[in-house]
Amino acid sequence: MRLGIDVGGTNTDVVALDHGRVTLCRKVPTSADIEGGVRQALQTVFHRDRVSAADVDAVIIGTTQFLNAIVQRRGLARVGIIRAGAPTGTSLPPMTDWPEDLVQAIGGKAEMIRGGHRYDGRELGPLDRAELDRAIDRLAAAGIRNIVVSAVHSPVNPVHEEEMAAQVRRRLPECAVSPSHELGGLGLLERENAALLNAALADIAPRVLASFGTVLTELGVHCPYFLCANDGTTLNLQSVARHPVLTFASGPTNSMRGAAFLSGVSNAIVIDIGGTTTDVGVLRNGFPRLSNTVVEVGGVRVGFRMPDVLSIALGGGSLVQNAGHAIGPLSVGYRLIEEALVFGGSVLTATDVAVAAGAAGVGDRSRVAHLDASLIDSALSRIGVMLDSAIDRMRTSEQSVPLVLVGGGSILVRRPFASVGEVITPPNADVANAVGAAVAQVAGEAEQVFVSRILTEEGDAALEELTARASRAAARRGAAAATLRVVDVEHIHLSYTAPPMTRVRVKVVGDIDLAAGPLADSANRPRSTAT
Amino acid sequence: MSRELHPEDIGDLCLGAAYFGAGGGGDVHFYRLIAERAIRRWGPVPLVRPEEIPEDALVVDVGESGSPIVGLEHLPPENHGVELLRRYERFLGRKVTHLIACELGGANSVVPLVVAAACRLPVIDGDGMGRAFPESQMMTFPIYGVAPTPAACTDFLGNVVYFETSDAHEYERETRALVTVMGGSLLAMDHPMTAAQVRETAVPGTLTLAQSVGRTLREHRGGADTLAPALAAHLHGTAYGAVVPLYTGKVERVSRRTEGGFDVGEVMLRAFEGAAPPLRIALRNEFLVAWLGDTVVATTPDLITMVEQESCQPITSERIRYGQRVSVIGIGAPRHYLTERGLRVVSPRNMGFDLDYRPLAQE
Repeated sequence: MRLGIDVGGTNTDVVALDHGRVTLCRKVPTSADIEGGVRQALQTVFHRDRVSAADVDAVIIGTTQFLNAIVQRRGLARVGIIRAGAPTGTSLPPMTDWPEDLVQAIGGKAEMIRGGHRYDGRELGPLDRAELDRAIDRLAAAGIRNIVVSAVHSPVNPVHEEEMAAQVRRRLPECAVSPSHELGGLGLLERENAALLNAALADIAPRVLASFGTVLTELGVHCPYFLCANDGTTLNLQSVARHPVLTFASGPTNSMRGAAFLSGVSNAIVIDIGGTTTDVGVLRNGFPRLSNTVVEVGGVRVGFRMPDVLSIALGGGSLVQNAGHAIGPLSVGYRLIEEALVFGGSVLTATDVAVAAGAAGVGDRSRVAHLDASLIDSALSRIGVMLDSAIDRMRTSEQSVPLVLVGGGSILVRRPFASVGEVITPPNADVANAVGAAVAQVAGEAEQVFVSRILTEEGDAALEELTARASRAAARRGAAAATLRVVDVEHIHLSYTAPPMTRVRVKVVGDIDLAAGPLADSANRPRSTAT
Repeated sequence: MSRELHPEDIGDLCLGAAYFGAGGGGDVHFYRLIAERAIRRWGPVPLVRPEEIPEDALVVDVGESGSPIVGLEHLPPENHGVELLRRYERFLGRKVTHLIACELGGANSVVPLVVAAACRLPVIDGDGMGRAFPESQMMTFPIYGVAPTPAACTDFLGNVVYFETSDAHEYERETRALVTVMGGSLLAMDHPMTAAQVRETAVPGTLTLAQSVGRTLREHRGGADTLAPALAAHLHGTAYGAVVPLYTGKVERVSRRTEGGFDVGEVMLRAFEGAAPPLRIALRNEFLVAWLGDTVVATTPDLITMVEQESCQPITSERIRYGQRVSVIGIGAPRHYLTERGLRVVSPRNMGFDLDYRPLAQE
């Protein structure tokens, strides 16, 4: 069986998945040190539910620890960056639009040297090796141990980044090096930003992985374990140690993947109602629809794609005011079980209204018996309008799609919705997140810019080569090769290019390779990235 | 000297320029940062009203053209335009005294500020369109007889090409072809003008106007339904015509494709409630014609502008998505475009539609 664990802000949830069925689920409070909550959740499963640790094939953990470290500027490593591309781009050095406190937190030092490529892969100019050595010296003198190397158009031609990385490793063997093309496609600043945030997590990543490893070992779990990635797939430990930024959006993604699994529907709108906010997302072929606009993390625009999720300030703890005409944005949040009327508190919340309307059986209903019927009606209508409007903004066509409701706050919903067809509240909807973790697969991606004519003439061969590259990437992340299938092929035509060029991106997904070896196997240990 | 532009002015200026871009002009995020940084580094840029230009001035239009995707990687050098200006002056045999923007909307509203800061030149408060249009012969300068050349352009590596072309159409064709050869982005200096020519041909006051409209869009509360009077107050007494709210509704359909380097397509809006017919907008980079049901309600060169209904943020054509709640507001074109000479270039018929210019109906 597989265990899926979701470390949320309030609860740490764990579910067991056996032969495609959720066989048990448990909730424990999230601990300040994260692994304490994980330990407690697993102990519950092993002791109370009498699950044998030996029966667990894989543990998959969804955590926002790395995201929180960036957002809270906590425990970040000092980072430097060397960009090749001058004289182009010197008008906009790395980190230009970053919040000042984050630049301070990572002690960001930027160097710009000659080099880089054009859109068609030709050099802008030769890589300036003498300048590169001086830049490395300056970063070393500043005591920086984590270095990002970036080059203009490196997703089209990575050779300058590769040469820079090799030179940094040669000159400073104790340093960790992140080439930007490993963390994004076209879009120099966003790609650099992702690589910089990633490098800033170089100290935390091995610590987090080691502490999860310790918990599992202590409890006698010796199977491989994985962390959840932005796109609803998993990363093995080497991948997380190398690219911790890829875990940033795992929260909303897991709830959508879990909704798809629990409902058996692969094209739907998913609403996850929590205590303070509601996330609305779209499932397409079982995976969350990804955002086409640039996303921000901790005030920084990053280049990788994240699920397209609309968050609105509506949750079980939202304050109900103005005779039911105003819901939120303030919420009692995790204090719901002390402050809401039905729990003996003195604050009128959305949960109280739902209980008063008979839509939910939590707390003490007699404590809301005095509420005015018109207030209840106004509040529930207002909640309906808020959800309808959010659903509508996430849809891409008039076509009626089913709606899947997950999260603890789904009791707020008074059906039917004006804007959707069937509404599904699947069993175990309140642990959809952990289910999403348990069912996660492994993905690999590859992209390349081609002369469009070549695609017309030899498109199959080009696609085959890209698919092979994506498959190798997936295998490195722990996928079983035989299970890989192509889930997405994207063509983007580049305007004003001669000859006309097209960027092609291929994504493959497959099952976790459970034969990859036990946790104790050194192959599945994170590589140490800092000393 | 009337005033100077400081780094803190750029945000509102970009926001307003995006609004006047009438759907076109593209994303301005990078150029906003570049302009703020350039002004912080080299000092504030003096802004000169057309009537203040000294008689012996030589004013030059400066702007960029290029592929948006290439522009994600290939960013300008720090001393953008300094070397081009030196070579261009040698080509002209004269010193350039002022720079002017070719259009309002997107990066080209601030490119002159970036170049002016590095070259320590003042910028004219005005531009060559008062909105955005896709091609350079659609600028007011050539429409009223200013020759586009002598001109010079550079890639971001210092390669320079000089032009002397027979007319504005030829200049447009050649620069467009050069963009692809020169790495996907180029910076051009063209339309050298005297003070009198600027006063006669430029749409005046537009940078100041963009900044004040930008501030209004940022600060306005109460949604786009109440935006028109605030805009009208800014536009009163300028080259622009009336402000006419056209529609408020939800984006119901967007179709778009790339055709000959342009973003071509159609947007359909549906009213939130009631039986109002849908609003259909044809776009070709910019919003060019709007129909309410079967009736034409706005056409180029009048500005068809779109803002998000709650936030009043301008929406450019590439950012439109199904389900967005928007308000569409028409603004009478700068008077320069409403003459026979102007309409000959930018009327709907000249932009590929089988209809003539129809002024905005005022209630």
